[in-house]
Amino acid sequence: MNNKWYIEKGDQGDVVLSTRIRLARNLKDFLFPARLDAKGRQTVNETVRDALMEDNTYEFGYLEMKTLTRSQAVSLAERHLISPEFASSVDGRALMLTKDESVSIMLCEEDHIRLQVMKAGLALQEAYAIADEIDTALDKRLAYAFDERIGYLTQCPTNLGTAMRASVMLHLPALTRIGHINRLASTVSKLGMTIRGAYGEGSSPKGDLYQLSNQITLGITETSALHNLQQIAIQLVNQEREAAKLMLKNPENNDKIWRALGVLQTARLLSGDEFMELISLVRVGAANNILNFGLEQLNELIVNMQAATINAREGKNLTAAERDAVRATAVREALKAEG
Amino acid sequence: MVCQNCERSEATTHIKRVVNGDTAETHLCADCAAHLGYGDFFSGFGLNLGELFGGILENGLPEAKSAKALRCSKCGCSFEDIVRDGKLGCAQCYTTFYDKLLPSLQRIHGRIEHNGKVSKIAEKSTKKKSHLEKLREDLNAAIEEQNFEQAAKLRDEIKGMEG
Repeated sequence: MNNKWYIEKGDQGDVVLSTRIRLARNLKDFLFPARLDAKGRQTVNETVRDALMEDNTYEFGYLEMKTLTRSQAVSLAERHLISPEFASSVDGRALMLTKDESVSIMLCEEDHIRLQVMKAGLALQEAYAIADEIDTALDKRLAYAFDERIGYLTQCPTNLGTAMRASVMLHLPALTRIGHINRLASTVSKLGMTIRGAYGEGSSPKGDLYQLSNQITLGITETSALHNLQQIAIQLVNQEREAAKLMLKNPENNDKIWRALGVLQTARLLSGDEFMELISLVRVGAANNILNFGLEQLNELIVNMQAATINAREGKNLTAAERDAVRATAVREALKAEG
Repeated sequence: MVCQNCERSEATTHIKRVVNGDTAETHLCADCAAHLGYGDFFSGFGLNLGELFGGILENGLPEAKSAKALRCSKCGCSFEDIVRDGKLGCAQCYTTFYDKLLPSLQRIHGRIEHNGKVSKIAEKSTKKKSHLEKLREDLNAAIEEQNFEQAAKLRDEIKGMEG
């Protein structure tokens, strides 16, 4: 098995699935992507590619997005390697990706360069160190759009300054069930951060998976922003653990976990929504030593059972019903005879 | 339910966004949904910060229309374009519309002074600036000393750097 970052279990791995750092950069001599013509985009993509190839620290593949099928593109978004927006419109866009998929660079997304580093678990400092290193290497070879007063210049002013978005993906099933997410959301927004569903929008995101990220980028150093995010993430981790302990004392909730496992181990058809709801329960069971599954295995299953990722692996566009059958079979196989 | 955009056709696309616990619902007919970029699942997936930012600019600056005449010399954007799209056209726009943007930056970020990593390009421009200052001082000194040959040389060098 090839070890992708997203199936490992990292620090605080019972609650924190992954950490992501994203830096936005633009080249000063080109119009921002929305106003840049096809030829200009191509030039930007190749200029950045060549600059990266000169620096040998990391080995990147270069992929023009228009060469991918729609399922392949959306699957990259489901694995959080690119943004959904990047997958939805592929013209003039290119992706650079390391073999282990831990570093990806979206070219001509909203900004010329969107450099992204992913790590398993809570690893903000480690992920930033890598992003910083690659950014510094690129800075040496490219002419960045930068202003001493307002920092890195971005197409949308909400990203000005450090142009850094740091986020952690959290599994918060217990806090969701006791209805604490809205209260937490308004608290973190006062601290310059935001929390939202990681898969799908809505008041109850699929799989109880959330992204916590910094919102403010101007006037705050990278170090402070990361420090603040780390503090809040740790608090959420502790609150979730407490809430989960309480939740699991109730025999009814304990029963729900076993029933969820039962359905996943036997179902012949599994929709994406039902799968996410049940796997969330199984995951909280595994994280609290009720069920005997590795969290890495469950994390991998969550990523692999998304619709476009299934299509991409099957190499064709399945109907929803066909996909539900494929999903059920794969989940039965993955979860059999354990637990 | 009628479409909130055209207020004519039946709304068939329902968009619900929840950010930090606040729910916003939009109901659109198929045509308006496609027109506004909700044509497929993924275009409606993320929150369009651009739109939001445009809203902030517009509400905050009702006098925005008076800036119509000014356009960015590099990309041709007017301040109205920026308000409408919530996006700037190029890096030069930040210089052109710097004063007009500041109140919105203050509202979005709470602060307006960058305090983080500095690009190499800024280090270079700081060096260039101090070099230019030094040349200008030398030029003044040369004129005072009536050393016109030296002054002409310095003037050409300054022109070259500023060009």
